[in-house]
Amino acid sequence: MANKKTKENSSKGPIVAILVVVILTFVGIWWLNESRSATPRATVNQRTSVDPRIAVPNPALLRATQGAVPANFLGSETAPVVIEEFADYQCGACANVAPILKEINSMYGNRIKFVFRNFPLASFDKSYDAAVAAEAAGLQDRNKFWEMQNQIFKNQRIWAGSAAYKTLFEDYAKLIGLDVERFKADVAGISAKSRVDADLQRARDSGITSTPTVFINNVAIPYEQLNVAGLQSLINAELERFSPGPK
Amino acid sequence: MVGIGLDKEEPWRLPVIFPVFAVLLSLVGLADSVYLTVNHYTGAPVPCDLVSGCEKVLSSDYSVISGIPISAMGAISYLLAFSLATFAFNQNRLAWRLFSLLALVMAGFSLWLIYLQAFVLGAFCQFCLVSAGSSILLFLTALISATHKKLTSN
Repeated sequence: MANKKTKENSSKGPIVAILVVVILTFVGIWWLNESRSATPRATVNQRTSVDPRIAVPNPALLRATQGAVPANFLGSETAPVVIEEFADYQCGACANVAPILKEINSMYGNRIKFVFRNFPLASFDKSYDAAVAAEAAGLQDRNKFWEMQNQIFKNQRIWAGSAAYKTLFEDYAKLIGLDVERFKADVAGISAKSRVDADLQRARDSGITSTPTVFINNVAIPYEQLNVAGLQSLINAELERFSPGPK
Repeated sequence: MVGIGLDKEEPWRLPVIFPVFAVLLSLVGLADSVYLTVNHYTGAPVPCDLVSGCEKVLSSDYSVISGIPISAMGAISYLLAFSLATFAFNQNRLAWRLFSLLALVMAGFSLWLIYLQAFVLGAFCQFCLVSAGSSILLFLTALISATHKKLTSN
């Protein structure tokens, strides 16, 4: 009798242990998710850095096809400092970096040229459609591209988790004042897709494998340095390098 | 095959140290994979204090298979390994055999991921290395348990 009870207990033991671990796993997921939502998402450490004096431009980028023409850019076309970002709309790190780059653009204005390149990764299921949606917005008005991009990055977690994401893109189009019917036609058409494909080809030619990849004057910047202070120091160094006057 | 190593007439007895190790390693791997999976979905940056290029690894094309992050697959594998190792405490031979087989697959997959980090991406992610280390140690636990049986029966 006692033996039977011991046997029953020992067979229940693993099941109880597994249940406890499963419950703890879910608690851990919930806790991590909560702490992620509470902390600002754009905090990156600054352990590594690129010294612009010794950094070497990426030769593959210099040889790569030119990407979408005209490129989506902010600032001045003739600025001495060119920042080129390859990003994926469904990548969390890209959404983190977006407000940082926005701040950099408002800080430097026409002293820099900021170029955005679409690089929808194959590993995300809605990235390509998101890139096409942003380009379709840009076909109506170049400024609307940036407004649409802002909506897409800002609401990344919503549309990325929704099966009706295309309807959400249409909602964003309406919100930013686009002609929604034309937007739908442009999303279905070839022009927006061609622009995405052209950027994608440039990314592939450059040997880029991850996002966000940011270049300053063709020098790749480590992700760890994609924060306001890190970018500022690199841009200032580049501006100084190109400024006329005694060295 | 690992985990098989006894003569049929002898009762199968697995020293408790092996499932203890297996359970502990599985829990380390599970915690690590869950952390990476949550970070994947929330987009939070992963600390990268010991090595460089964590984001390059975690946002690469190789980090997801058919829309499922590798870290999530890892979490499920570690949970399964934990469950099998827990059953092995009761001298459940089938559970230990399945655990050994799973550990073999996980270690093989981890070696491939280390190869990708070293030779394809040229960047490492410390949390990925912890997971790979756990998988390889799980396999070594299974392997040593098999050879241990052979040694003690000789």
